[in-house]
Amino acid sequence: MSQLVIGQLLNGAIVGTLYAILALAVTLTFGITGIVNFALGAFMMMGGYLTWYAHDSLQMPYAIAVVAAVVAVGVVGLVTDLCLFRFTRNNLVNGLLVSIGLISIIEAGVLIVWTATPKDLAYVLPGVIEAAGISAPKIKLVVFALLLLVILGTYLALTRTWTGRAAFAYAQNSEAAALMGVNTAALESAVMVYSAMLAGLGGALYASLYSLEPTLGSAFILKAVEAAIMAGIGNAIGALAGGVILGITEGVGSIYLPIAFRDAYGLVFLVAILLVKPNGLFGGKS
Amino acid sequence: MLNMRLAKRMWVGLGVLLLIGGVGVARQANAQAVVKIGQIEAQTGPTATYGWMSSQGAKLAVKEINDAGGFQVAGKPYKLELIQMDTRGEPREATVQFKKFMEDGVKFVFGPFLSNVFNSIEPIANLHNGKFLMFAGATAAHSLLGTPNHDYLLHTFNWDSGPSGFGTLMVAQLKKQGVKRVAMLFQNDAFGKVAADIYSKLFKDAGIELRIELFEPGTKDFSASLAKMAADKPDYLFPGYSDAVLYDIVRQATETGLFKKFFIVRGSIGPALKNKDAIDDYMAYVPKYFESAEKTEKATSKFIAEYKTFYKREFPYDQAPLCASSCYDHVYMLVNAMKAAESVDDVAKIKKALMSTPYDGLWKIKYDETGEVIFKFDLVQVKRGGAISVISIDPIK
Amino acid sequence: MNYKRLLAIAALLFPLMVHSESILAIGIYGLLAATLAVSFNLIFGFTGQLSLFHAAAFGISAYTTAILVTRFQWGFWTAILPAIALVAVLAAIVGTICFRFKLREFYFAVVTMAFAELARLIIMNWNDVTNGTLGMTLVAKPSLGGMAIDSSVAWYYLALGLLAVTYLVCAKVVSSWIGRCLEAIRLNDALGESLGINVFAYKLLVFVLGSVLAGLAGSLYGFYTGFIEPNYLSITHSLDIVAMVLLGGIGSLFGPIIGAFVLIALPHVIDLGAEIRIMLYGGILIFVILAMPGGITGIRSRSKHAA
Repeated sequence: MSQLVIGQLLNGAIVGTLYAILALAVTLTFGITGIVNFALGAFMMMGGYLTWYAHDSLQMPYAIAVVAAVVAVGVVGLVTDLCLFRFTRNNLVNGLLVSIGLISIIEAGVLIVWTATPKDLAYVLPGVIEAAGISAPKIKLVVFALLLLVILGTYLALTRTWTGRAAFAYAQNSEAAALMGVNTAALESAVMVYSAMLAGLGGALYASLYSLEPTLGSAFILKAVEAAIMAGIGNAIGALAGGVILGITEGVGSIYLPIAFRDAYGLVFLVAILLVKPNGLFGGKS
Repeated sequence: MLNMRLAKRMWVGLGVLLLIGGVGVARQANAQAVVKIGQIEAQTGPTATYGWMSSQGAKLAVKEINDAGGFQVAGKPYKLELIQMDTRGEPREATVQFKKFMEDGVKFVFGPFLSNVFNSIEPIANLHNGKFLMFAGATAAHSLLGTPNHDYLLHTFNWDSGPSGFGTLMVAQLKKQGVKRVAMLFQNDAFGKVAADIYSKLFKDAGIELRIELFEPGTKDFSASLAKMAADKPDYLFPGYSDAVLYDIVRQATETGLFKKFFIVRGSIGPALKNKDAIDDYMAYVPKYFESAEKTEKATSKFIAEYKTFYKREFPYDQAPLCASSCYDHVYMLVNAMKAAESVDDVAKIKKALMSTPYDGLWKIKYDETGEVIFKFDLVQVKRGGAISVISIDPIK
Repeated sequence: MNYKRLLAIAALLFPLMVHSESILAIGIYGLLAATLAVSFNLIFGFTGQLSLFHAAAFGISAYTTAILVTRFQWGFWTAILPAIALVAVLAAIVGTICFRFKLREFYFAVVTMAFAELARLIIMNWNDVTNGTLGMTLVAKPSLGGMAIDSSVAWYYLALGLLAVTYLVCAKVVSSWIGRCLEAIRLNDALGESLGINVFAYKLLVFVLGSVLAGLAGSLYGFYTGFIEPNYLSITHSLDIVAMVLLGGIGSLFGPIIGAFVLIALPHVIDLGAEIRIMLYGGILIFVILAMPGGITGIRSRSKHAA
C-alpha cells in the first residue's frame, strides 16, 4: 500500500505543477492588475489546441510547436488586454465577468474550428522510468521539471531583476512605484501578457499528457484559483506550493476515500486552511 | 438627463422588440407543404460529442432528400424542414425548446440522446402523447417503452442487455475466454449509473466478478483510480464511455503496465490503435466500424463521400458510429414510413409503418414490438500490434 | 417611476395576452431568475459581498422539498418550510465561518464557492436519498386553495407572486435603517465597525435572508420544471446570476429583474448556429460590462445624484 501512496505523492506533485503554473498566472494578474482573469483557463486550452494543431497537423517538432503556441497565446493575451482588460483594472467584479464572457467566445471559437471531437496529441516521449517499484512516465517527469524551472525562474525574476522588483513594488503601492519611474501601464500589460503565456505553456505541456476538449480550461482555472488562494494571493513560490499541495491532496485523498469526491478533498483542505490563516498559507499582510 | 431616460427607454423597447421578434420568427409556420423534423440534442457544452454526429447526419439526409425534389405522400409533394435546437445538456433549455416544438406543430422529434435531458422533457412529452413521435437515443428511454402514455416513444440506440443486446454478447465472449474479474471505471453521471446497473447484472449472471468505481466527470488524471483498482489484479478494465475519456484512461493504464486488456461499450478503437504495442486485447462494441465498412459497403462509402463534399472537412471516423441513433438512416426511414402510411400527420399509422418495415441503409435497422431498435452492429477486437478483427453481428433474423 | 408601474401592469396581464406555451415558459423562468437576481443583489449590490453560494441555496431547497414530497408524501407547502429552514441554517453556518474570519472580498467568494461545490458533490453522490446524477422526476403538483397548479398560467402567477414578495421584502430592508447600515458596510466595513455597526450581524442577516429567498425560488423551480439534478447547484449558475445583476444594473433592486429577463430570453431569441449563439452571449456580456457600467437600467449606485 505504501507504494501506492508514494506513487500518488509523486503523481500529485506533477499534476500539482500544472495547477501551479496557472495559479502563478492568476496570482500575478491579481497582484498587479487587481482582477482575477478566469479566461486564463481558456488561454491554457488554446495553448493545448494550438500545440496539437502545430504538431499533429503542421508536423512541427513538439518543442517548436510549444514555443509557437506560447507566443500565439501571448499575442491573444496582449490583444485582450488592450481591448478589454485595460478597462477593468482593479475592478474585480467587472474583470471577472469580462473574463467569463471571453471564455464563451474562445470556447465557441475553438468549437467552430476544431469541433467537439476529442484531440489526442501524438505521443511525444513514450515510456516510463521505473525505480523502487514505482513507474513514472518519462514525459510527466519532463513536464514537471520544465514547469518547476519556469515557476522558479519567474520567482527569481521577480526578486532579482529590476523589472521584477518594480512589479513587486507596484503591487505593494502603485502610486509610489509610479513616482519612482515605473511605467505602470506598460507593466500591467506586460503582466497580463506574461500570465497568458504561462497559461499557454501550461496548456502546451498539458497536451503532451492528456487529451484535449474545449471545456478543459474551466476545471483547471477553478483549481488554479483554489491553489492561489490557499497559498495566499501575490506569492510566486506560494503558487507553486499551493498547486502541489492541491495536487497531492487530491491524489492521496482518492486512495483512501471515494474517487467520486476527489474535487471535494481539495476544497475542504482549502476552507480549513483559510480558517486558520485567512490570508492563505503564505499570505502575510492584509 | 434626458439622454439617460431616452437610453433607458430605448433599451427596454429594444428588449421587448427582440422578444416579440423572437416570437414571430418562431411562430412563422411555413405555409409550404413541409414536414418538420425537430432535433433536440447537445451540440455544444461538455456533452457535445453525443449530439454532434446525429446533427450532422440528419442534416445531410434532409439535404439529400430535398435536393432530389422532396418526396410524395398520397400524391402530394413535400419537403423536409430540419429544426435543430442546442440543449447544451441543460434540462431548462430543453424543456423550453421542446415546448416550442409542440407549439410549432412539429410531429417528429429526433433525440435526445442524453438521459438527463430526456428525463426532464418526458413529463411534457406525456402531455402531448399521440400528437408526435420521439426518436430518443437516451438510455433512460428504454424502460418506458410500451408503458401507458408513452405511445410517442421510440428508442433508437441499441440496447446493451436483452437477448440480442451487444452487452450480453460481449460478456458471453469474456466468459468464453475464461475471464474471472473485471474492473469498471465509469463517469459518475446519469449514464454511468445506468451502465453500472446494466452491467452489474450482466456480469453477475455470467459469473464474473465486477468491481465498480465512479469518477467525477472532467477527470483527466486517473492514476489514483487505476492504481487502486489494479491492486486486486482484474483481468479486464472496463473504462468509461466516450473517447474523450478513453484516450486518457487507456494511455495511463498501459504506460504504467497496470492493465493490458480492455472492454469497451461506448467508444471507438482509436485509443487502442494509438497504444497498440501496449495492449493485449481491446474489445469494443462499435455500432459500425466505418474504416472497414467503407471498403465493403456501398451505402457507407457513398455516405462518407457525400459527407466530405457537403461539410468540406475530414470524415470523423471515430465519431461516425454515433450516427446509429436518430441520425441519417432515421430520416429516410421516416419518409418511407410516411409514404407507406400515406400520411404526414397520422402519427399512429406512421409509427405502425415504421415498426413493421425493416430498413437497410447505412445500418440494417428494425424495430421490435415495444419500439426498441435492433440494428446490425460490429464487435471489433484489436490485439497487440494493432491487428483488427471485426465480427458483424446481425440480430435481425 | 412611470415605466416601472407600466411594466408591472404588463407583467400582470402578460399571460392573458400571450397564448404560446413556450413564451409563457420563458416568462416563468424569467420570473424565477429575477427572484434569484433580486435576492442576490441584496447581498451583492447593497452589502458588497460577492457570494457564490446562491445557486447552492436554490438547489438545496429544491432537493429538500422534492425529497419530502416524493419520499415522505408531504404536501408541497408544508415541505417548503423545512427546506428553507435548512437553507437558513446552512447559510448561517457558511456565513458565520466567512464573516467571523473576516474573509476579504475574493476569499469570501472562493469559500462560498467551495461550500457550494461541496453541497453539489454531496447531493450528487448521496444516491439513496437524492438519486444522485440521475436526478429526480417530480410529478406532483402543488395546489393552492384546493386548485392544483398545473397550468402554465397558474405557475406564472405563482412565480410572479414570489417575485413580488421578494422584491417587497428586499425593498423594505434596503429602505430601512438596516439598509443604511448595509450601505456603510458596502463602502467600507472597517469604518462601519468603528462607527459601532455590528458588521458581522448585518452581513449574516442579509446573507441568510437572500439565501432563503433563493431557496423559495428553488422549490418552485423544481416542481415547475418537473425535474431536478445536481447540476442546478453548479457554480456556473451562480455566475449567471451575477451576470444578470450586472447586466440589469447593480445599484437597484429593479435592475436585476431586467437583467434576468434579458439573459433568460436571449438564447431563445438568437436563432443562429449553436456556437455563434454562445459567442454572442459572451460578446454581449462583455459589451454591457465595458460600455454600460450601470447595466441596462443605468443605475450604478443607490445615490440619487445624476451619474
